[in-house]
Amino acid sequence: MEEKKGSISRRKFLGNTAAIGAVTTLGVVGLANACSNETKKKVIIPVPSDQAPDGPTLKAGLIGCGGRGTGAALNFLNAGSNLEIHALADIFQDRIDDTKKELKEKNDVEVPEENCFLGFDAYQKVLDSGVDIVILATPPHFRAEQLEAAVKAKKHVFMEKPVAVDPVGARSIMASAKKAKVLGLSIVAGTQRRHQRDYLKTYEQIVNGAIGDIVSANVYWNGSQLWYRDRQPEWSDMEFMIRDWVNWIWLSGDHITEQHVHNLDVVNWFSGKHPVKAVGFGARHRRVTGDQYDMFSVDFIYDNDFHMHSMCRQINGCTNNVSEYVRGTKGYSNCRNTIWTPEGTEKWNYEYPLDENGEQMKNVKISPYDQEHIDLVTSIRKNEPINEGENIAISTMTAIMGRISAYTGKEVTWDEMMNSDIRLGPKTYELGKMDMEPHFHVPGSESKD
Amino acid sequence: MLPNKTILIALTGFVLGSVFISGSRKVFHLTSTDRFCASCHVHPQTHSSWKLSTHFDNPSGIIVHCVDCHLPPEGQGYLKEKAITGIRDLYGKLFKDSSEFNWEQKSLPEYAINHTYEISCKKCHQNLFPLQLSKDGDEAHLYYSEHEDELHCINCHLQVGHYSKDAIHAKNVSFGSVVTENEIIFTHPARIEKFENFTEYIPGSNVKFDMVAIPGGTFQMGSSPDQKAGQPNEKPVRAVKLSPFFIAKTEVTWDEYLSFYNATDSEGRTTDRSKKQNIDPDAITGATPPWGAPDQGWGTGTRPAITMTYHAAKTYCKWLSKITGKKYRLPTEAEWEYACRGETTGSYFFEGEPKDFKKKGIFGKIFSKNSDEIYQYINFIGSKIGKTIKSGKVKANPLGLQNMLGNVTEFCLDWYAPNAYEQYNKDTLINPSGPEKGTEHVIRGGSFKSRAENVRNASRDYTKTDKWLMTDPQMPKSIWWYSDCNHVGFRVVCEPENKTEQNK
Repeated sequence: MEEKKGSISRRKFLGNTAAIGAVTTLGVVGLANACSNETKKKVIIPVPSDQAPDGPTLKAGLIGCGGRGTGAALNFLNAGSNLEIHALADIFQDRIDDTKKELKEKNDVEVPEENCFLGFDAYQKVLDSGVDIVILATPPHFRAEQLEAAVKAKKHVFMEKPVAVDPVGARSIMASAKKAKVLGLSIVAGTQRRHQRDYLKTYEQIVNGAIGDIVSANVYWNGSQLWYRDRQPEWSDMEFMIRDWVNWIWLSGDHITEQHVHNLDVVNWFSGKHPVKAVGFGARHRRVTGDQYDMFSVDFIYDNDFHMHSMCRQINGCTNNVSEYVRGTKGYSNCRNTIWTPEGTEKWNYEYPLDENGEQMKNVKISPYDQEHIDLVTSIRKNEPINEGENIAISTMTAIMGRISAYTGKEVTWDEMMNSDIRLGPKTYELGKMDMEPHFHVPGSESKD
Repeated sequence: MLPNKTILIALTGFVLGSVFISGSRKVFHLTSTDRFCASCHVHPQTHSSWKLSTHFDNPSGIIVHCVDCHLPPEGQGYLKEKAITGIRDLYGKLFKDSSEFNWEQKSLPEYAINHTYEISCKKCHQNLFPLQLSKDGDEAHLYYSEHEDELHCINCHLQVGHYSKDAIHAKNVSFGSVVTENEIIFTHPARIEKFENFTEYIPGSNVKFDMVAIPGGTFQMGSSPDQKAGQPNEKPVRAVKLSPFFIAKTEVTWDEYLSFYNATDSEGRTTDRSKKQNIDPDAITGATPPWGAPDQGWGTGTRPAITMTYHAAKTYCKWLSKITGKKYRLPTEAEWEYACRGETTGSYFFEGEPKDFKKKGIFGKIFSKNSDEIYQYINFIGSKIGKTIKSGKVKANPLGLQNMLGNVTEFCLDWYAPNAYEQYNKDTLINPSGPEKGTEHVIRGGSFKSRAENVRNASRDYTKTDKWLMTDPQMPKSIWWYSDCNHVGFRVVCEPENKTEQNK
């Protein structure tokens, strides 16, 4: 009883322990720190392994054979020995064929035809096909339903970000993640910064007080236009939408959720909290298809009144910036590799490894996309479960809160999100007719629910 | 079945034993059996309701015993609590008559929390997210994990240990749909000819209620410095001048409220789609179906309507105005206090001060004044009824109004501010209606749950919207029904038309 009434919230506790990752023994050190302000034990973030330990064969099924899904399957195969891609699922045959071809060409892996499943319910067939792990890489709209089924089937999960497009979906992920945690299943999310060694070591500095208490943050994903598809005459409405999914709110959650969640997640991770409310702007200027905005600017407010300003834009020909920045009472950081004093003197930086010529590299040794899978397989083989499900659900919900504020022009609170029945998209799925009249949100003209 | 002297002696021995010789495992176990508990705790239905509950009969075949829920787990204060409750219960056994205990009241969540230990719930229920948990369960337990400090397991799971046939944990679609046969159905509302008491008829129903004419006048609102029980939010006293108005003799009854509920249409209640064809665009949308039992199983009829939200009460007034062609609304708090006082200036509209009516020990009872008077007028905590009473059961105030104090606390029109009276200017206020803005509304009069000091003429309280919706499992929470508030109702006022005033 006393524990739960302690000064550090459960969410903070979750944030910290999850960040500590797979290594249980070191996790305890961090826990002691998170639970008591007096104990000033240093939190040590272990350097993740370069490769997963050997062990019996682990079979993975890929659900969603798009570019990122196929990439994730290859990352999985790179993680260690005795790893197999056992089954594939998609709703389009050409996507399955492309993935099969790429796996064959790049890793000489053949997925037998009888393990390739087509359709909106194909994910269930993958779960029933004898896999140990599933990789969830469909458009985010489908994630909640698929994670729920995966946990019910007692599978370990790698899932791409974001994990939901609406509050109902985000809460479903939270509940599924909690169930997985109890069962000792591992869930790794595609927020790869949490698996990137430079970020991890910077986090270690900051959680041990290198910049004092966080007083403000800025996050950016100002980049160029993302892809879109031209509609083909033989495509149904649904097929066009799904092939063009990064442009449709109900499928992607809009780009503040789909892409910018990476940066929002970093500040949630570093602060061990989530915002309690948001007020934002957004607009659509240059987008070609779909119903999304192409820019957002949101003021997120955390519970001790520190603000995080978030900007994201998908428009060509503008100044680009994809980064995070946190300022604390004793300094500031780019979250990635450097810490400065309040006056601007560099006081710490991450030492990147040297290349063959003895030059310092600009990136971490192991690709963070591989690292995610190394960490997942390691956690399974060492029987030290990691569960990032709740963290990514919280960060996804953060993005959704910002989005709804921008669409409506109104302040949106975390409590409202936790009580909202907003659910986007159709209730049942078929490759048929859809309402294709885009409804562009106009701030000030609609209610929050 | 009543235990004899030998058992009483043995019990005394047990209590002393628990306190001083906590070593004896045998005594410890013997005194923790269900049979031992039942030997002294002569709760009339607890044993049988426990046997009907899921904590006795469930698919796992596990039986949960009295001490598993009603004491903390061993090693977490078990012995201490056992000793304390043992002494208390022994005292109750020897000096009190258990047939006088209000078991129904003690079963309300706010009382049950005091003798059910959440750490004990969680000792067995360690996993709040089992794989089998339903979608609704996911949402409810997520909500719980975000609000652990404010919630107890039994806020939602009250009946798991003691079965209640009245408990409903679902949308209550059939609530209030009573078939009335061979009754006079009123076709016309009352017509007001003069400014005098009248009886209103709700057209299309068999329901009528009395309205009392309150002449305009001036009074002192709030608590003067010499009134010791007065709270800071009742000060300073303000002179208030009010126009004449009518106010209902009683709180809005279930009969009245349900005639609105049944006459209006709303999502989730109307299954007959054809009804929606000729829908009047100005039709008032009524309440959605409640979750569970809004009447708490106490019954409807002439008991005051409870658990409807402030929004629902206002919608009721709007509907009543439309159907009667009059101007019904909630009273302002000034009107409410004026009508309650009926020209009296003390703490109550009868003789006495809160201190005369407070719960007293054995010596207080012997030496204090006779405190019977309050019981004739007010259903408050001291009445030990523990629930609402039907209208007409108490004596009226000087203006002929019943249950102004106690029974249920009543919604007022004003936004609540603790310093509302301070904000007013010093001149005589004419028909004041509170702050312009706010987040919660004034409620007045106290309820069956209130202590004597909180059922005074001047006592002020306010709605607590979030708290009162705490355990509503619906998403989003209802705007029509409070899940966690069973002590608030309302009473209507009617504004006389100008010509009626002239007739006066």
